[in-house]
Amino acid sequence: MDFEKIKDAVTSIEMPKAMDERMKENIGNRKTVKVNHKKWIPAASVFAILLAIMMGIPYFNKNGELQVANFTITAYALSDDENQVNTTITSEKAAIELATEDRLGIVSIGGDGDRFIFTDVMLKIAGEQIDSITYTLSEGKFIEDVTFTSTKPPSSEWLRSERIYYVFSEPGSGVYEGIRHIGNTYTVSYNEQENYKYTLAIPHDGNNVIPDDVIINVNVTYSDGTSEQQDILIMQEAHSILLKLK
Amino acid sequence: MLQQVVWSAELEVERIVDAYGTMLFSICLVILCNEKDAEDVVQDTFITYLTKSPTFNDSEHEKAWLITIATNRCKNMRRYNIIRKHMDINDLQLYSRNDKHHDLLDHLMRLPTKHKVVLLLHYVEGYKVDEIAKILTITTSAVKKRLQRGRELLRERYRKENEYGF
Repeated sequence: MDFEKIKDAVTSIEMPKAMDERMKENIGNRKTVKVNHKKWIPAASVFAILLAIMMGIPYFNKNGELQVANFTITAYALSDDENQVNTTITSEKAAIELATEDRLGIVSIGGDGDRFIFTDVMLKIAGEQIDSITYTLSEGKFIEDVTFTSTKPPSSEWLRSERIYYVFSEPGSGVYEGIRHIGNTYTVSYNEQENYKYTLAIPHDGNNVIPDDVIINVNVTYSDGTSEQQDILIMQEAHSILLKLK
Repeated sequence: MLQQVVWSAELEVERIVDAYGTMLFSICLVILCNEKDAEDVVQDTFITYLTKSPTFNDSEHEKAWLITIATNRCKNMRRYNIIRKHMDINDLQLYSRNDKHHDLLDHLMRLPTKHKVVLLLHYVEGYKVDEIAKILTITTSAVKKRLQRGRELLRERYRKENEYGF
């Protein structure tokens, strides 16, 4: 069989004239399509409360000792608008709907060919006498959405130095939106958590399936120098990402 | 000034639809086997393009970006359309006037999505294995396997057709 004939066959398909015209008109009227500027909103409070309660439940630490953590973890979701956050809650875990197909598509064509699912979720710790928090992702990386202005397209050298790998821009606006890679770990002061809105990029197998054992290790250091840690297991069900204390 | 902006936007719509409309429609039609779905995906892809206005290195980069967005949307649409629709071979003449291609198109459309996507990107758009891997965010070995399996499936279907004289 001559597989080169596939090209002849497929390129013999033509878009009907009427469709061409209809499409141009519809796209031309795209002013009705709003630009989705992502903004931070707290994911449903039940979601946050669920995780917080779970943190208070005694658990067995790595040495097999019964322990109760003295801090709570709150999760926040990033959404295109208030109506699109989907937090299906069960008694044991919190679900965050994946709604990042545009970003997936854009990233896939980008420089390093990495394959990530962007979860658009960030974490916040609450507790007494906490000095700093270190998050470590077992697989994948933390990323940050950044916006900057420039009169001309940013140079690739500058973007590399800033670890900004993907950039989009409204034509003529001089405003650029990009994705900065933070790495697989970062430490933040307790009082400055609001300044670090990092979300998770989790690798997948090419078919949007994430590994079974991706963990976020949360290590909290108290003012007296002691520390506590907790692992959060990241799981996947259908098209949702689930967080569960391990 | 405002008029100039509107005029420029209209030109951009004309340009992208003329340059990539048929190419994207043919890919989406083969993947989705449904005209309306293919039209929706192509239109949505263009709107995303105009809304996001990503920065491209060249026209090849632009084309690859559009294909990436369109194929991702097709995959999502297939995922959510539990009942698979399939285009009747007789309807193919609405889009492909040359009858001699209809059999091959029909066989191609009946392949699993993941196989036909790589065949389309390789044989129609001329992408190499590593380029397809980037577009689909899968490994090069996965692309090779899918290409190989896609070819086998097509061969098998042609063989059965000849055996049973369809």
